[in-house]
Amino acid sequence: MPFLEAAATQSPTIDEWLLWAILVSPLTAWALIVLYFRKIPAVAGYLAIAGIGISCLISFVTLFNVIDADGAIAQHTHEWFTAGDVVVNLGVRVDGLTAVMLVVVTSVSLLVQIYSTGYMAGDSGYGRYFAHMCLFTTAMLGLVLADNLFMLFIFWELVGLSSYLLIGFWFHKPSAAAAAKKAFIVTRIGDLGLLAALLLIWSRAETFDIAGIHHWAASGEASDKIVTLFALGIFAGAAGKSAQFPLHVWLPDAMEGPTPVSALIHAATMVAAGVYLVARFFPVFEVSTDAREVVAWIGAATALIAATIALVQTDLKRVLAYSTVSQLGYMMLALGALGYVAAIFHLFTHAFFKALLFLGSGSVNHGTNTFDMRKMGGLRAKMPVTFWTFVIGSLSLAGIFPLAGFWSKDEILLDAWRYDRALWFMAATVAFMTAFYMFRAIFLTFFGEYKGGEPVDHHDPDNHFHGDPAHPHESPWPMRAPLLILAVPAVLAGLLNVDHDFGDFINHALPELPHHEGSTFEWGIALSSLGLALGGIGLAWAIYYKRWVSSASLRELFLPLAGLFEHKYFLDNVYEDIFVRGIFHRGWNRLLELTDRYVIDGVANGSGRLVRGVSSGLRPIQNGLLQTYGLGFAAGVIIFVLAVFAANPL
Amino acid sequence: MELTVLVFLPAVAAIVVLLLPARQEHLAKYVALAGSVATLALSLWLFFTFDLNESGYQFVERREWVDLGAFNLQYFLGVDGLSMPLVVLTAFLTTASVLVSFSVTRRQRLYYALLLILSTSVLGVFTALDFMLFFLFWELELFPMYLLISIWGSGRKEYSATKFVLFTIAGSAFMLVGILVLAFSASTFDIQVLGQSSFDDTVLPLRWVFLFLFIGFAIKLPIVPVHTWLPDAHSDAPTAVSVMLAGVLLKMGGYGLIRMCVTILPGQADDLSAWMAGAGAVSVLYGAFVTLRQTDVKRLIAYSSVSHMGLVLLGVGALGTTGMVGATYQMVAHGVITGLLFVMIGLIYERTHTREIARLGGLARQVPLLATGFVFAGFGSLGLPALAGFIAEVMVFLGAFEQYEWAALMAIFGVVLSAGYILWMLQRVVFGPVRPEWNSLTDQRHWWEHSVVLMLAALIILLGVYPAILTDMINPAIDTIVLRVGA
Repeated sequence: MPFLEAAATQSPTIDEWLLWAILVSPLTAWALIVLYFRKIPAVAGYLAIAGIGISCLISFVTLFNVIDADGAIAQHTHEWFTAGDVVVNLGVRVDGLTAVMLVVVTSVSLLVQIYSTGYMAGDSGYGRYFAHMCLFTTAMLGLVLADNLFMLFIFWELVGLSSYLLIGFWFHKPSAAAAAKKAFIVTRIGDLGLLAALLLIWSRAETFDIAGIHHWAASGEASDKIVTLFALGIFAGAAGKSAQFPLHVWLPDAMEGPTPVSALIHAATMVAAGVYLVARFFPVFEVSTDAREVVAWIGAATALIAATIALVQTDLKRVLAYSTVSQLGYMMLALGALGYVAAIFHLFTHAFFKALLFLGSGSVNHGTNTFDMRKMGGLRAKMPVTFWTFVIGSLSLAGIFPLAGFWSKDEILLDAWRYDRALWFMAATVAFMTAFYMFRAIFLTFFGEYKGGEPVDHHDPDNHFHGDPAHPHESPWPMRAPLLILAVPAVLAGLLNVDHDFGDFINHALPELPHHEGSTFEWGIALSSLGLALGGIGLAWAIYYKRWVSSASLRELFLPLAGLFEHKYFLDNVYEDIFVRGIFHRGWNRLLELTDRYVIDGVANGSGRLVRGVSSGLRPIQNGLLQTYGLGFAAGVIIFVLAVFAANPL
Repeated sequence: MELTVLVFLPAVAAIVVLLLPARQEHLAKYVALAGSVATLALSLWLFFTFDLNESGYQFVERREWVDLGAFNLQYFLGVDGLSMPLVVLTAFLTTASVLVSFSVTRRQRLYYALLLILSTSVLGVFTALDFMLFFLFWELELFPMYLLISIWGSGRKEYSATKFVLFTIAGSAFMLVGILVLAFSASTFDIQVLGQSSFDDTVLPLRWVFLFLFIGFAIKLPIVPVHTWLPDAHSDAPTAVSVMLAGVLLKMGGYGLIRMCVTILPGQADDLSAWMAGAGAVSVLYGAFVTLRQTDVKRLIAYSSVSHMGLVLLGVGALGTTGMVGATYQMVAHGVITGLLFVMIGLIYERTHTREIARLGGLARQVPLLATGFVFAGFGSLGLPALAGFIAEVMVFLGAFEQYEWAALMAIFGVVLSAGYILWMLQRVVFGPVRPEWNSLTDQRHWWEHSVVLMLAALIILLGVYPAILTDMINPAIDTIVLRVGA
């Protein structure tokens, strides 16, 4: 492992313009597509690949550069504007954490774009699709590179915009339009916290600079209460983007977007931005125990709730969506339990194997025209590449030795164990469920009899499905290649931290090295989690492959619980029916609207009528000619002014 | 001399338009366009020659006007960092409203003449430095507005036009009393002198004077509960008038608050600042909640304006530089963003003849360019970063939070509510299943349609990514005012 060989501790030497080029390259591709190549599909796709490819290349250069500098920090900042005493800067900051994120974002994005040239072929919005993808990649990279909270917030919101546009990509579908809106609004509720944190930090520390905020938190100049409030605000924003309970409800609906979008944005990168945000401000969370407790327990609850819902999904993509929510909960749990390295390491491995799984589900959809697992089955022989890569991704997610997910999940379980046994217990339960629902999905999708897929609706002008769902076939090379490439890190990425290299590298992004570092491996934890994962797989095998127990009778057995899971804990109903429609739309908003119409306007109209009554004696003057009114008005003003001066001949 | 030319150029163009023979009526729009573009060019020239290192008034013109012995009414014009951006905004939106009116066919000469006179009156308000001159321009604006709404409007246009006039006049009456009291105390109408004088409670308690002025400006802004004229005026006004109304006329209120209320009576502003901030925050929320109930696109945008103008009052109420720079920025940003929103719904209305959200839908398929412009403007309105509104909102929040944390924390909920009503509207108007009844619509295609949309969109982006272009100008002017409050 070469990470620590260079002993130098000077700043990374990479030129500043190269760092900005990481951002500018996909942005340029976006602008070119929007301005010139919207309607030229071939060019649009390759332009996006080129733009993101350049970013990816520079990101790797940056990574190695930072490795050479031993994970030290480089920062270049410029004043953007001033308003009163508020000075806002634009700047880039590169350290171990940034470099890792850059590589994850650009490499997954690049593979997803390549895949998309196959998956989206023939779509009438092909050019628009790649434009949005470039916009997303730019925004995500800006979020990662930002050296201050203000700039981070800007790109944070732009990421939300591109997510909105891509979820609603097939905007004529009412469900897609609704899901896009829901995603934006729910995440914006979380952003309220982030905005409040932004206001708070300026009023208390007079800086937005990330290093400055680290310093402010560690210096002890602010009271614990203020630090905690700031941390909770940050976490609220993170909870929105990273789909943490109770703001997770948008992510499953976001699956209305094209599947490569789900792979890139709603699995590998954007939803991990919340985890990144908390990690970015980890020194603040280190100071505030209360905030950390909240992060840990919300994370654990999210992991558990989402895993239970995933157990009963019939839609392959929704299984993956809930799995993503659950894994994000894992990462938050780790951050709360002081496992900064474990969380980022899991973010890193998860990005690869979850993107792999989503792209795999897209490949399945490409053959069958559906995501409904009840209409699949037996695809193992027909789509071998998809099958094997999907199995690799699932084994990695389930945490089977020696795949990537095993190592990163194990670190989280270890941190949870050390921090609070109850958290470990929840996380271990989730590990069992994860293995179970993933292999349930595999057995339903790839084994048994093929059930015919979804017939193609040839009357739908937006349908560009080419093949025959009755005879599914393997996807074309642009789709197969990314699956194969992603399978490599899904297997091997875990080895990077066996010697703590990964951890040491990203630890340098913190102002002080964490002093709670213990060994990152313990046989007991590793064996127990492996056992739970194998147990989950075995149970799925027994029920969905061997069919020793029928799943219907199991459902009967756990009926109230299964019902609760199937209805997603009724959270959507509570939010939409009770809060949005009930309390607000029909209640409070209506009350204000009626006040407006009858009380406020009533007074105005009433006084108008009063005047009219009094003035009916003066009616002859009102001859309806505007000229007369104008003349009268002008004369009135003049007389009034003259009268005033006449009365006061100073 | 430049400012006189600037202010009266539209009026001169109006006279030319009126003098056109009936046979040449079709030339009216081109004359109006030439007049407004010339005004715009001149305003931009002033903008870029404005000396950023000087905090006082520039391009000053001062002449004796009416000599009344101890009282001199002056013809006194000048701009500073507060009014300069608003002058450019007015010139921009005048051009935009002329362009968006190219499809008007009825009584074109009178129409364009009135539109141009409206522009002159607003430019006069932003440049006048004599309080009586200011007041005359302020009142002058009523007459073109009344006619434009009641002749070219739709729906209950006479009711709405009358309501608009009556509300404004009610405010003007209070304002005039305030002006006269101040003028008698200081023996001058000179705003520059008034802004450096101190007053005592001789004629009327100064708090009353402050409130009288405040009422006049608050109605114009408007803030809750004196806002109900705005949705009616908007929904019945023709597109160009909505653009001018939301874009610049409301800003006269915000401008007056800073230039008159705060600058001339800083002590009273200080005493009442918590109330102003509170009223601003309430306006933000109340406006947003009522917006969520609207079913007509124009009324929806009108109510969202009430919410957004609440931010101006919040920023002013914080009485700090950041907040007031934010408030000024918000006036400009709201002007271009809401201007574009009204342009877009105007173009859609021309084709569909409806603004009912329930009747529209799926337009992104049939008229993709119009839909794109509408979505863009919508995101501007909900405060998306990299667009103008975000900078303004955050500065107002930052400024308010330093002074009144509770008011800022109330107002930030407007951010979620605005996302709610804008995205709800977009979902139903632009997205969703295609409706066959709109299959025959033509997309945005005329050069004037393209130019008005691109012009406003470019400005929205420019102000979103390069805020220093305005903040460097606004900062010194506001600093001077804030220093006076602190003293």
